[in-house]
Amino acid sequence: MAVRERSSVQGAGTQFLDPVVLSRIGNLELLARTVVDGFLQGLHRSPHLGMSLDFAEHREYMAGDDIRRIDWRLFARTDRFYVKLFEAETAANFMVALDISKSMSFGTHAVTKLDYARYLAAALSYFSQKQRDRVGLATFDHEIVEYVPPSSRHLQLVLHTLARAEPGRPGTLRDPLMRLGDNLHHRGIILLLSDFYDEPQAVIDSVRHLRARGHDVIVFHLLDPAELEFTYDSAASFRDLESGTMIPIVPDQLAAEYRDLMAQHIQELDRLFTGSRIDYTVLDTSKPLDHALFRYLVSREKMNKVR
Amino acid sequence: MGLLAPLFLIGLVGLAVPVLVHLTERQRRNVVDFPSLMFLRKIPFRSTQRRKIHHWSLLSIRALALALLVAAFARPFFQSTEVAIGSTLGPREVVVVLDRSYSMGYGDRWERAKTRAREVFQGLAPSDRASLVFMGRGAEALIRSTSDRGRLLAALDTASLSADGTLYGPALKLAQTILEESEFPNREAVIISDFQRVGWNGDEGVSFPPGTVVEPVLISDESTPNTAVTSVSLRRDFFSGQERMTATARVVRQQGAERAERTVVLELDGQQVQTQTLTLDPTGSATVAFEPFTLANLYTRGSIRLDPDALPQDDELHFVLSPGRAMRMVVLEGASPRQDASLYVQRALEISEESSFQVEVRRSTTLSAADLATTDVVVLNDALFPQGATADRLRGFVEAGGGLLLVLGERSAWQTGLEEILPGRFGPARDHTRGAARLGYLDYSHPVFELFGGPRGGDFARARFFRSRDLEVGPEGRVLARFDDGSVALAERLLGEGHVLVWTSTMDAFWNDLAVQPVFLPFIHQLMRHLGGYRERVPWFTAGQVLDIADPDGMVFIADRTNELAPDVDQVALTPGGGSVALPATVGPRFLELEEQGFYDVRPPGTNPERVFTVAVNVDVTESELEAMDPAELAGAVVSRETGGGIGAGGELLTREMQAINQERRQSLWRLMMVAALVLLLAETAISNWISRAATMRFEDGRSYVRSNP
Repeated sequence: MAVRERSSVQGAGTQFLDPVVLSRIGNLELLARTVVDGFLQGLHRSPHLGMSLDFAEHREYMAGDDIRRIDWRLFARTDRFYVKLFEAETAANFMVALDISKSMSFGTHAVTKLDYARYLAAALSYFSQKQRDRVGLATFDHEIVEYVPPSSRHLQLVLHTLARAEPGRPGTLRDPLMRLGDNLHHRGIILLLSDFYDEPQAVIDSVRHLRARGHDVIVFHLLDPAELEFTYDSAASFRDLESGTMIPIVPDQLAAEYRDLMAQHIQELDRLFTGSRIDYTVLDTSKPLDHALFRYLVSREKMNKVR
Repeated sequence: MGLLAPLFLIGLVGLAVPVLVHLTERQRRNVVDFPSLMFLRKIPFRSTQRRKIHHWSLLSIRALALALLVAAFARPFFQSTEVAIGSTLGPREVVVVLDRSYSMGYGDRWERAKTRAREVFQGLAPSDRASLVFMGRGAEALIRSTSDRGRLLAALDTASLSADGTLYGPALKLAQTILEESEFPNREAVIISDFQRVGWNGDEGVSFPPGTVVEPVLISDESTPNTAVTSVSLRRDFFSGQERMTATARVVRQQGAERAERTVVLELDGQQVQTQTLTLDPTGSATVAFEPFTLANLYTRGSIRLDPDALPQDDELHFVLSPGRAMRMVVLEGASPRQDASLYVQRALEISEESSFQVEVRRSTTLSAADLATTDVVVLNDALFPQGATADRLRGFVEAGGGLLLVLGERSAWQTGLEEILPGRFGPARDHTRGAARLGYLDYSHPVFELFGGPRGGDFARARFFRSRDLEVGPEGRVLARFDDGSVALAERLLGEGHVLVWTSTMDAFWNDLAVQPVFLPFIHQLMRHLGGYRERVPWFTAGQVLDIADPDGMVFIADRTNELAPDVDQVALTPGGGSVALPATVGPRFLELEEQGFYDVRPPGTNPERVFTVAVNVDVTESELEAMDPAELAGAVVSRETGGGIGAGGELLTREMQAINQERRQSLWRLMMVAALVLLLAETAISNWISRAATMRFEDGRSYVRSNP
């Protein structure tokens, strides 16, 4: 199972990928920089996967400028010399779709699923910014709560939005993802972070809509260890975080059946995402972030090859 | 074992509560937030898992505590006497007051009463002590504060009914004393009686020590029809020179069902003389008059008997009769009396139902010793006081117990030496100046006027006195009557064993008109009876009375008190039951307790004794009033007003409130149950907390879940 894999990229800077350590860092930007730099430092590979130039503005010619950059057409109209200024062209739009439904507030150790997703989104947004991608963010529960359109200058906004994202309401995938797909006119990379408490077919139907619009979708399925292993041993009333309903549970022998159902659920999602050429990864929120980052890099590499 | 409030047992349904607490309540208390119940909902409901009980000790403690609480509220108590007695904490001092008045002889009451007393004794614990007190008009502690059950039971077996009446006061006082003397903390008084109301006046002043449990045991019957001979009137008269007696009996019937005929028999000296039949209403009375019979012998034994019913003791009434002796009196008028001076006195004394006065009028003031020997009263009616030897004899006569009446008139004269005999000096005659004088003061405490003290007892105020002699009463004299002007009308002086009275006006219609007033006749009778020392003869005594046969004044039924009551002669009394009571010749009183119904013969020891006299003893007829009082009234009156007293069970007619009080008393188990339940609940709390702490420690070790969002 994916969640049980150990990352093969353990390095010197991986202590900064431990969620427990990250939870002590209050600044998301600092956190993202720490994660990415530490990760890349251990990776020893070039992070630049491609670059392009894009016209930014004109300015008057100054001595020493390359005369090849003079815009002769503008000289013909104005009789003055202007040179073209270009900015680096980003590779793609990088859009983070973050589930902030109430169930994402669950956590049985240092960080909740939302915290983990927040760290992960911040780190990958920072990483994408460094790749000169345009970063954007959409937080949603049963509707889109916050929307930051992809832009090369929106990293701070994305990080700020991530920092103040609060879970509170029940969530669904279909409506917000449909809305998100409608808003994104340019193809890009969409990173979907959720716990996917819905029937697998409903999940894939919602995500497939994004894929059909040409986006590359990377799915991270965030689960707490308690959700994976169901380690409870005392009888108690279990309350659904989103609906508030309660069920008396005696977990002794029920835990095994729960684990079976959870495994079936993950397998079914994996099967359906894979069939739709969507990268699907289950993340244990008690594990370091390097596994997620590594999976992201693999996915980006795979996307470039396809292009 | 019984339950005072069995409906509380419904609370045992609550035993399911601990189970529910185990299976559900603890879960509700430990709420775990979980992201989604999507998968948990898909798992089939496992009832067996829900029923799984993890902490059997907690469940057991909770269930036991609840059961104890329910049982405590149901108020268990011991019904049987034995169990109740055995369950009492500490030794007890038990006093059994057993009514053995003759009314307990109704039907099988006596046996029932003894059976109940026997149960009480048999139920005693070894450390208990008990007393047996018999209740009649008096009280007797037959066994006092012993733990020897054998003695108690033996005394009970030999106990028999008495002929006594019922009086609760003495027996309850005795029981109170025994209980007060006991050092035991638990005191009980068991009163076994038919609880006749006649023996209770509510002011006995009995108060048992605080904490005493009073258990009244009513021995009764649903209906108590009874017929009794309540009284006999014996009238004497003389016919053809013989004294005849006429007996009239009164028979009372109570609570009968229908009219019934009863046979009444008159017996004399054991022989059935007359038999009469009378018809009685269900509740009513009748009088039966027997034919007169001649009375010839001393101490003739007579009995009135009914055919016996459920209470035979009151179906017979005994009496003893002896031929009567008329009181003899001599009226001395002097040599030249006024005409008809003694007529009114003589006529008044001749008129008597029992012909008890013999009057001789003499126109002389001389009396021989022989005359005085047969005379009871001498009346000097307007005559000179005798001189010389006659005066000495007269003085001796009075000192020996005779009576002397001086009726003062014109001829009465004062002589030296009379001050030693008379109550005072009398002066000349005088007219009452303001018209007629009337009697303004009468000493009703004196036997002469005692009869007239009551309402309609005689109107002396109607008599008018026009003239009288003054009388200056000396220190030895006592004024019995005064006129309304303050002068003395009647004075008395005691002289030896006899009495001297002086009447300061005449006894005819000359100086006053008293002689023509209705009150004159009884006044003269009372005057003569007092002077002659007359005592009405008592034909019978009541059981329970005590006779002092050395006291002639008390033995008024004796025909010849002088000879038959010789103080230097040993006597023996044969009781109706065949026993004998020795009455040795001693100085001082010789008491004879009349305990049995029937005839007592008192005589000197020997086979052919002389000077035998007989005493008849009857039961107290008030005891045949079988109406019962409420035992609670008596029990409530004797229970201490202070806290701690109570009324016990066992009475057949105890009120519901009393039974509840008794049950409350006997069911002390509920307190123990409450304490035990409290202890268990505390233990449950401690164990539960310990389990919770253990669970918390496991959680901190990471071996259990933690709550979300700590």
